[in-house]
Formats: sequence, structure tokens, C-alpha cells
Amino acid sequence: MTASMPASWFSAPSPVTRRVRAYFAPVNRATQTPILFDPSQQGAFSLDAPPAPWLDLGWIQAFTRKPLIKSAPILTGIPAAPLEQVRENLEAQVSFQFLSWTKLTMALATGSQHMNLLAPASGASLAADGASAAPAVVVQFGSTASSVELSATDAAKFSAGSLIAVDADYTGQTGYVGSPVSGAYVRQTINDVDYIRRITFNVGFVTVVNGTELVLAAPLPGGAPAAGLKVQAISGFVDREGGCFYQEWSALFVMQGSQGERILFHYPRLQPIAGTEEASVPLNARQSPSSERIVLKANFLALPVNDSLDSERVLCYRSFLPAPQALV
Amino acid sequence: MQNAKDSFYMTLRSRLITINPDRTTLLRGAVRPGILVEEAEAPFAQLPNDVFILRWLNLGADLNLCSPLVAAECEIVYQTCGTIAFGGLDRGRQLTAMDQELVAMLQPFCTPKCNYSVQPAVTMLTQVFWDEPIFTTIVTLRDRITRSAKVIVYSYQEHGE
Repeated sequence: MTASMPASWFSAPSPVTRRVRAYFAPVNRATQTPILFDPSQQGAFSLDAPPAPWLDLGWIQAFTRKPLIKSAPILTGIPAAPLEQVRENLEAQVSFQFLSWTKLTMALATGSQHMNLLAPASGASLAADGASAAPAVVVQFGSTASSVELSATDAAKFSAGSLIAVDADYTGQTGYVGSPVSGAYVRQTINDVDYIRRITFNVGFVTVVNGTELVLAAPLPGGAPAAGLKVQAISGFVDREGGCFYQEWSALFVMQGSQGERILFHYPRLQPIAGTEEASVPLNARQSPSSERIVLKANFLALPVNDSLDSERVLCYRSFLPAPQALV
Repeated sequence: MQNAKDSFYMTLRSRLITINPDRTTLLRGAVRPGILVEEAEAPFAQLPNDVFILRWLNLGADLNLCSPLVAAECEIVYQTCGTIAFGGLDRGRQLTAMDQELVAMLQPFCTPKCNYSVQPAVTMLTQVFWDEPIFTTIVTLRDRITRSAKVIVYSYQEHGE
């Protein structure tokens, strides 16, 4: 480069980042198919608009990756000296804290299935994970992901501010249930017609009721509900310590650098490894006692996938998209 | 660092125009957005009210990187006596409004670095970026209340800087 020629590149030091953003997508449990993320085609996506079917879970904190792969030498000769190395196991963990409590963050931070508290039927007996529910109402034709059509009588049962769950009746099936996310694994028939709506991730917030239409604040994760699915009001969520079901999700973590560079961590398969756990963060560290923010702690075990490129088993893909004009 | 300082100021100024176009000041006979750099104006006997004043303080550098990183501390001072219409009784509200405007002006926490010493300004290769502001306690002097916020502004030195 001559002295008169303006520089067209710079040497970029290590990325500087302020925070980490998390995105999750449901693994198809029935077919054991994770969601793959292609950094070459999708890596530059807008952080506020992730490519489908990735769901934005917002900023997270205390993001920690812990590789647990152990290598061992193959010794040879006298005295013995390493000839080669082999990997004895394939294991990695990732942990972080969510900064909000939502259906998705709670579910991801719990070790087992995560349930909706369905509005109880009148006079129902007490139950730790929600009483028998008031009857569901049927979704009518013409619904979209952001609006649910009901009959006029049924729509009158909801009001602005209602939380709803939309899914099918439970009809005695076993195996993975719930759409679009497998929310539970049913080992034997359950006597609860509302069970799928208890564990479904297809929940929404009603902003306004227009006659027969429930207008939602955000699209349902499952898209436009088919006619015949049913709707129930929910009042909150409940999860349990114990149980044998493991959530499984594909995950993507993004670190946006100060110069426009981006680091992406893609875990095709993550399962929680701990039960429900929270952390308390003082709002004012200089004052004791202080009000505390309760954040959800999430701890995951990475499970391997077979990379179709070369049939290697891998746990995580780390991608780096350099800053514009940066030397590589 | 001058390019970074200029870029930081120009970014805040253009964001302020969007956030509150009514916040203006009359300076040297011209109506300008209500934000200025103290060291680039004639000395003030009394800081103007209802205007953001950028004051550059400490400087640091990390020279061990492949591109040296320079950090400059910027204090943003603002004060108000409230409005005449309310006899100054709205000075708390006016200061709160300026607090909100400043928080909004600082986001996002980066901007392209530009060289404003040439016309037209030339966009450089790197970004200027900064931390979240640290606000100070309100200082009250008679009917005037003042607050400041400190921000560390970072910039990589490019060829020729």
C-alpha cells in the first residue's frame, strides 16, 4: 500500500461484545431431527428477526460453555511416550441465565415438562399442577397465527388480557405430544382430555376481542390454528422437580461484536441437565438488603449429531463472521 | 481519537434531532440542535440550560493490540430551570425528559467512525463504541438543577490516525 492510498482494511483485535442473545428451535422428537443453522446463509440475520423456526429468547447473561471432552494419549515405546491422542468421550455443557420469565424461558430452564395452568372448572378439586379445566372452546375456520376465530358465545368468554392455550384434545395417544413443540412424552394413557393444552407451547396473549375474533399480541408458535383445535384460558405456568421427560431443543447463541463481527454458537441438540433453579441478583449491589431480581438458571447438556459433511459426531458449531474490512 | 470524538458527537446530535427536534439552542446567531461540545465553543460564563454539553475528560490507550484501542471519558452535562410557563415548577420533569433523551441518544451503543475534518466527511473502517452511561446525583443551585452522565467511548486507531 502506498502512502497516498487510503487504507481499505484494518487489523481487528479480539471481538468486544456487550451481551449474548439466545435463540431456540424445537427438535422434532418423533423423528429426532434437530434444527440446523447455516452460518453461511443465515449468519447475518437481524437479531430482532431470526430465521424461522428460531425463536428469540432475548438477551441472556452469565453465558458459559464448558467443554468436557477428555483426550488420552496412546503410549508406545520404552520409556512410553505419546504416539497419538484419542478422544475418550464427547461431552459439553452450556449454562446461562435468562433475563425474563416467559413460557419458553421457564420451559427451557426446567428439567422436565412445563405445563400451563388451565382456568379451572367450577368446583374442581385442588390439584398441585392445576385443577380440572373449564371446558375448551372450538377454533373456527378463518383463524390466523395472530387471530383466533371462535363462535360469538365462546369469544365472549375471553377478554383483552387473557392468556390462552391452543391445541388439540388428548385422545389417548402415547408418545410425544404437543404441537409445534413436543411438550411431554406420554408413557401410558392419561385421563385428561386437556392434557395436550396443559403442556402445549402454543400459547398467546389476547390484546383485544373483536366480536368472534381473539386478536393476539404475537403470532402463535404453531402458526394458524386449524379449525377443530380448541382454546382454553390459562392463568400461568407450573413445572415440577422430578419426572422423566427431558426437553430437547436446538440452540443458537449470538455475540455481536463492536465492529460488526459476529460469533455464533450453534448447538443442534441441548437437553437440560438440572432441575428448576433460580438465581437472585441484587438490584443495588451497594445496598444490603436490596431488592433482588430472580433470574432463571439454565444448564444444558449438549448431545451429538452426525455431521453429514464427513460423518463426524459433533456437539457444537462455533462460527465467526469477521468485521467488514477486517483482516483475517 | 479526534475522529472518534467527532463521530460520537455527530451521532448523538443526529439522534437528538430525531428524538426531540424541539430541543434546540441559539448559538453564535444560529439555531442548532441542543447538544454541543464544550471544548469546541467559546468559554461559557454560565452553561446554557436545556442543552446537552459534552465534556471530554480522561484518556487511556491499550497499545498491545494489533490495532491500538483508545478510550476517552465523556461527561455529558445538562441542566434546567424548568419552563417559564410553569414558573420553573416543572424543572424536575424537564430534567427527567433530558435523562430519557440521553438514554435514547446513546442507543445503539456504536456508530461508524467518520473523518469530519474533510468535506464531505469520510466514513472510516471501524466503529466507535461505548459503554452504558453512569449518571451522577442531581446538583441543585437555587432554581437550577444539574445532572451529568459519564460514558467511556472506545475507538480503534486506524492507519493515519
